[in-house]
Amino acid sequence: MDALVNGAEAFIQVFRTAADVFVGFTTGIIPIVVVFLTAVNALVKFIGEERVEGFAKWASQEGAIYMPVRYTLLPFVAVFMLTNPVCYTFGTFLPEKHKPAFYDSAVSFVHPITGIFPHANGGELFVWLGIAAGVEIVAPDMVTALAVRYLLAGLVVILIRGIVTDIIYNIMAARKAGVE
Amino acid sequence: MQALIERIGRSVGGVVGTLFQAGRDAVDLCLKTIIPFMAFVTFVIGLILETGVGDAIANGIKGFSSSLGGLMIVCVICAIPVLSPLLGPGAVIAQIVGVLIGTEIGRGNIDVSMALPALFAINPQVGCDFVPVGLALGEAEPETVTIGVPAVLTSRMITGPISVVVGYLFALGL
Repeated sequence: MDALVNGAEAFIQVFRTAADVFVGFTTGIIPIVVVFLTAVNALVKFIGEERVEGFAKWASQEGAIYMPVRYTLLPFVAVFMLTNPVCYTFGTFLPEKHKPAFYDSAVSFVHPITGIFPHANGGELFVWLGIAAGVEIVAPDMVTALAVRYLLAGLVVILIRGIVTDIIYNIMAARKAGVE
Repeated sequence: MQALIERIGRSVGGVVGTLFQAGRDAVDLCLKTIIPFMAFVTFVIGLILETGVGDAIANGIKGFSSSLGGLMIVCVICAIPVLSPLLGPGAVIAQIVGVLIGTEIGRGNIDVSMALPALFAINPQVGCDFVPVGLALGEAEPETVTIGVPAVLTSRMITGPISVVVGYLFALGL
């Protein structure tokens, strides 16, 4: 009988702990995400599509000089303003040969951005939040610093991804053209 | 005068309407996407914390997650072109592993300094399942897609480990 009671106790304890964590997330994360989402959604509407598209046209030009713009600023603006997955439509403005690199760059940014701007990818917050929740327990004052560094490191990573994918795409395209 | 009042009224109405719609979209996203995923994630966390599963996982993950080399091995495995499209969808795998590693950081089994490189190590497969769709959204030619997909997948083998190192460098002095 005691074993049964202990078993039941252990079983229900899983859900009690889960519920405690759930309440913590609900009070800690949901309010700020809702308010933030509202503000950014409104901001995006006020700025308007035309202005964003004008910027996208400028930023997607060809040439090595535009590389840092093409693979840092453009993905940032795309993911921030249009959010995942609409952000990839910015590829439209790019020369054909840079489209794969831009996609690689933009898609690699949809998680680093969520540390500070959760609206950009609301459905996939727990890549960041899962790890942040652990850091919150051990070193609560470090979470914001970590979020900022995640964002900055993300920008460096997407620039590298853009450049490397560009190179690989060019090699593959040249090889294919050679075969035909 | 009346025209002025009308104009003010209309523009205020427009602003309030936009804000209200923004709020509606925000709450919609919360209810339909964020909270359901949160329920799932908290259940996983409950299981990890209250059953022996956590310790088993901890032992498995700890060896990989407490050193830069280990994280890079994880990253290379996740970036293998055959695996990466399978691990990608919805970032579900990345999110679960993120919660696992986060829980272990919270219990003090993994050092906080590994948090940032880990964020990149568990995620070299991001969007690998989505390349054709993403390129189609950018109105790429079919020819570009044919070469673009393997180009992106191959590129991840190189940029994955680099991203872990970048994360490690950015975590210095935290």
